[in-house]
Amino acid sequence: MNTNNNVYTVIYTTVVCVLVAAVLALVSSSLKPKQDANEKAETISQILTAAQFGDKSEWQKKGNAAVLDFYKQNIAEAVLIDASGNKTGELSTADATVYGKSELKAQNYNIKDGKGMKLPVYIFKNGVSVVPVYGAGLWGPVWGYIALGSDLKTISGAYFDHESETPGLGGKIKDDPAFRAQFNGKSIDFNDPKAAFSIVKGGAPAGKANAIDAISGATMTSKGLSDAIDVWLQAYKAYLTKNPEE
Amino acid sequence: MNAKLKETILNPILKGNPITVLVLGICSSLAVTVELKGALVMALSVIVVCGMSSLICSLLRKTIPNRVRIIIQLVVVAMMVILVDQVLKSFEGTYPLDKQLSVYIGLIITNCIVMGRIEAFALGNKPIPSLLDGLANGVGYGLILIIVAFFRELFGSGTLFGIPVLSALGYTNNGLMILPPMALILIGCIIWVQRSIQKDLQEN
Repeated sequence: MNTNNNVYTVIYTTVVCVLVAAVLALVSSSLKPKQDANEKAETISQILTAAQFGDKSEWQKKGNAAVLDFYKQNIAEAVLIDASGNKTGELSTADATVYGKSELKAQNYNIKDGKGMKLPVYIFKNGVSVVPVYGAGLWGPVWGYIALGSDLKTISGAYFDHESETPGLGGKIKDDPAFRAQFNGKSIDFNDPKAAFSIVKGGAPAGKANAIDAISGATMTSKGLSDAIDVWLQAYKAYLTKNPEE
Repeated sequence: MNAKLKETILNPILKGNPITVLVLGICSSLAVTVELKGALVMALSVIVVCGMSSLICSLLRKTIPNRVRIIIQLVVVAMMVILVDQVLKSFEGTYPLDKQLSVYIGLIITNCIVMGRIEAFALGNKPIPSLLDGLANGVGYGLILIIVAFFRELFGSGTLFGIPVLSALGYTNNGLMILPPMALILIGCIIWVQRSIQKDLQEN
């Protein structure tokens, strides 16, 4: 048979592509539940790391079940808030429901549009509240969690992740514990006209409580993360400044 | 086992090693050899991808239209890579490793070894020898990866598979071993050792 015939070539290529697509679709849909469970445990372990309940690597060793159990035992409530800081809903703590990356992405669009926001706040029994951030890094999305003390101003910890930042440079937002350790003890300042919190290239000015040093060699990732943090904190502003205790 | 089949299996591991002799697949061997665990998963992934895509392409070899053969090979390799990635993501034990290796699993598709073996071997040989050739090339690649990762993890972090070995003896970690250039230097050393043993590899 003449395999160099045009018609044959087109049909052959089409059939191969359709077959491959079918195989991949089948595998992907059958493995989805397992992948989702892994992803959920991963997200929760990031939240727990930000809230200073042990380190990410320890959670990884303990396994998914331990992560979920610990979360269920220590979470007080997981609320959803709107732009004016009012509670509009709740995430089930019994099922350990959390916002994954895709939900954060959707909310990121809502924040930009200024409507339809349903932002999660994870409130732990020890008074720590964790809020997510999401934005664009250099090559792909960056996201993470910032833990706030009971005054909703002091940062007690943070954890960040990324999809495809350069390992060793932008990847340090995740891999370098020294980078995220900088957040501990800093605070958010909504009165700062530039940003409620910023990551400053060339080093944060000494004594500035709402800024940390950027990563050298990763200007765009640092800037992207800085913007992500500011945009999300501004979206939470009404909630964070309400201070119901006063 | 006949001599030809034996040659197919042993050649890629020793005399025709894809990394040290053909100098293919260098990029990923720099990136994933900081730790043994990552290197092992990467090695296994490449073995599976290389073997299976060689097998599939060899089965299809008489039907593939010559003008689009590279594209068809690419589709097959891409399918295998995505399958491996999906499977790694599904298990609790391998999920963190998959996250850590992240783009490099996907980048197996650009690993010259895989496409190179399909072009050079699988398209002209029967399925079984092609499968063995693919697997053997994967093993040849993985072997170097593991040797490099062994030295980098041992001297860079003082551990092996995350278990403290040298660091337990009060060894100070050598940060240079963690950096990518050290992988190149180590591969260079392996090539040196191999060429001084196998004299016929030396050029004049």
